[in-house]
Amino acid sequence: MIDLSSQVRPESGKTAALRSRRKKLTFDKVSFMVVFLGLPLAVYAIFVISPFVQAAYYSMTDWSGFSANMNFIGVENYVKLFHNATFMKALGNNIILVIVLPIVTIILSLILATLVTVGGSSRGQIKGLKNSSFYRVVSFFPYVIPAIIIGIMWTQIYDPSNGLVNGILTGMGFDGFKSFPWLGDERTAMIATMFVIVWGFIGFYMVLFVAAIKGIPAELFEAARIDGAGRVRTMVSITIPLIRDNIQTAYVYMGILALDAFVYMQVMNSGGGPNNSTLVMSQQLFSTAFTKNQFGYSSAMGVVLAAVTLAFSGLVFLVNRLTGGKDERR
Amino acid sequence: MNIQKKTLQRRGFLRGVLAAAVLVPVAGSLASCAGGGGGAPAASTAAGPVSDTNPFGMADNSTIDAVIFKGGYGIDYVEFAGKLLEKNHAGTTAKIAPSTAIAQELQSRFVGGNPPDLIDNSGEGAMGFSAILDQLEDLTSVLDAKNLEGTVIKDTLYAGVEAPGTFGGKLAAVNYALTIYALWYSASLFQDNGWTVPKTWDEALALGAKAKAKDKYLFVWGKEAATYYQTLALGSAIKEGGDEVRLAVDNLKDKCWSHPAIQSVFSAMEKAVKAGYFKPGGSGTKFTAAQAQWSNDEAALLYPSGSWIENEMKDQTKPGFKMTGAPEFTVTSASKMPYEAMHSAAGEPYIVPSKGKNVAGGKELLRTMLSKDAATNFAKTKLAPSIVKGTVPADGFGSTALVSQTKLLDAAGSNIFTWGFVDLYGMNKDQLVLWNTFLDGKSDAAALTSGLQKITDDVRNDSSVTKIEVK
Repeated sequence: MIDLSSQVRPESGKTAALRSRRKKLTFDKVSFMVVFLGLPLAVYAIFVISPFVQAAYYSMTDWSGFSANMNFIGVENYVKLFHNATFMKALGNNIILVIVLPIVTIILSLILATLVTVGGSSRGQIKGLKNSSFYRVVSFFPYVIPAIIIGIMWTQIYDPSNGLVNGILTGMGFDGFKSFPWLGDERTAMIATMFVIVWGFIGFYMVLFVAAIKGIPAELFEAARIDGAGRVRTMVSITIPLIRDNIQTAYVYMGILALDAFVYMQVMNSGGGPNNSTLVMSQQLFSTAFTKNQFGYSSAMGVVLAAVTLAFSGLVFLVNRLTGGKDERR
Repeated sequence: MNIQKKTLQRRGFLRGVLAAAVLVPVAGSLASCAGGGGGAPAASTAAGPVSDTNPFGMADNSTIDAVIFKGGYGIDYVEFAGKLLEKNHAGTTAKIAPSTAIAQELQSRFVGGNPPDLIDNSGEGAMGFSAILDQLEDLTSVLDAKNLEGTVIKDTLYAGVEAPGTFGGKLAAVNYALTIYALWYSASLFQDNGWTVPKTWDEALALGAKAKAKDKYLFVWGKEAATYYQTLALGSAIKEGGDEVRLAVDNLKDKCWSHPAIQSVFSAMEKAVKAGYFKPGGSGTKFTAAQAQWSNDEAALLYPSGSWIENEMKDQTKPGFKMTGAPEFTVTSASKMPYEAMHSAAGEPYIVPSKGKNVAGGKELLRTMLSKDAATNFAKTKLAPSIVKGTVPADGFGSTALVSQTKLLDAAGSNIFTWGFVDLYGMNKDQLVLWNTFLDGKSDAAALTSGLQKITDDVRNDSSVTKIEVK
């Protein structure tokens, strides 16, 4: 690709370019294309597309991962996969995550974002609560901590014997919580884990929404207030419709995170939790590949995970459109 | 608006990617580059002369490439052997690299045909032997060689240490560190309370009642280590029912978990769970925290584990704990194997890939590690015995656990057994779920049995898994 640049003759390049700007490839144009189009495209093709393609191929083989030999077995892995109760359980858990996590996180962070931007005193200028910049910084703290640390920290907090949660609960007189295994009981493990993920991401999405709300002209809020709209009404009728695209993006990002969720799950319940109640697909994929040496089979899991992720984002866009997200076309 | 258009393009693009992901396998042969390369074996370094000091004919001035799992034992004991080797073979370089994720790191090198010369295939991310077996050297030649002192290596090792590294008659791995599986307790705590170590499950249940009177528990468990109780149960059952139990589970036999010996152990455990002799909450406790409840808080009396436990809990053991090991219980006093029989397996499997550049060098480094000097250095710095006999002095370098290990091994004599199916077929993760539920009191022995049997059956019926027959 770089060789193309040798066609350019420096002494005549300028005039030639002026004469036939549209036809000739100037050094400028070519270098621009190479740097801004060719390079990213090559990187994308090599590091994104090609692994995808390879994984799809391996998913149809019985590759063990440690030799160059493999047999093509067609869709056998997929058939096996959909009869694998553990994987289906993991898929189910991912679906629970993808439904609950984005909704809870987005609702909570939206409420907080409204409070610190437009939820303040109803007199004078539109503003957030008192000391809102302080809350904004504080609520961003969890996002600064790496996921793995969050997981380790909360595992300690949930510890049945010495954990903070049970300490507080038994201290308040709830003796039933003595040695209660929050992460080890089928009824609570998933909820406790989801709480941690929400806790970790609220701050980030709050900041995202704060930025979006700040982009709305203050006159709109003032007008609504003059018309007598309360805070809830303002949020539902003014804020949400105007930052709809941000919410959609947040929903997709959070959903993709929920479909992965590997780090949190692996740290808090590396074995998949009680009765596999917190097992997710990516964990199952990892252990199938690296402890069971079934790379072909685990590639099939990866392909399913990718398909589910794409289907999810497609669904979010579709729902957004059906519910009128595209009506704003002006 | 612009933005709206962009979303549409994005959707179209996503659709395209999805289509590509689905369609491309048709043209699959193009895509096999990661798996396809590296067909030709790497040229092995020219061989040197074979002699007693160089039994494998390692070439002069060659380089040995070793990748060692860096876990509880570190890598300094291999570096020690490496220096020794460099001294014995002037000009040779031993390059010793640490790794904490063996499979992830070495997978591509195996596929590419340029694996290291010596690997310590250990840790959570170890490579499964069934996947790499045909790419490994048979290491019988190393055990048949003479060590640095001139004794044949085979004669310097503990009994049965080849077993865990032998797969279908091929000695694919030499396991370097000797581990015994026992019930660990505080000799001082037992002495202060006048307790004796139980020898059968009935005695254990009686001790559980006494512990309960003192507001203590008999056992404690952590969620990642619930299967330590499976190890205990199998050890008990094999002693009770003899070798047939071991062969049944190891060869994935139909209804193997319903063997009467296993069932009698399971029902004793169920009684202990129902009576509340297990400290509750284990399914939500990290295993190191659970172990500290035993070694530091003394909330539980016994803990079934491998002998690495002393090293693992070094910083969290109460002063004056006097950690001591006892053999796993039998069910009756008329068990087929004596009470003293030990479940002992050598760990840290060292392997030499056949496609390595310096196969002779890998073997030579392993031979050096099995010399008296290197083995004594290991015992001294790690407070754990290697498979080489007679490297632990009577005082055990001041460790009560190490002394008791040596005593237990001597008492067991040739009654040493182990099994490999759990690691070989990667079953631990699935079994953990069942054991956590069982120890939590949320299932019973029958549910545990059928669950374990299903895991075994699934592996047996999976034609893509290579089975290795155990004799």
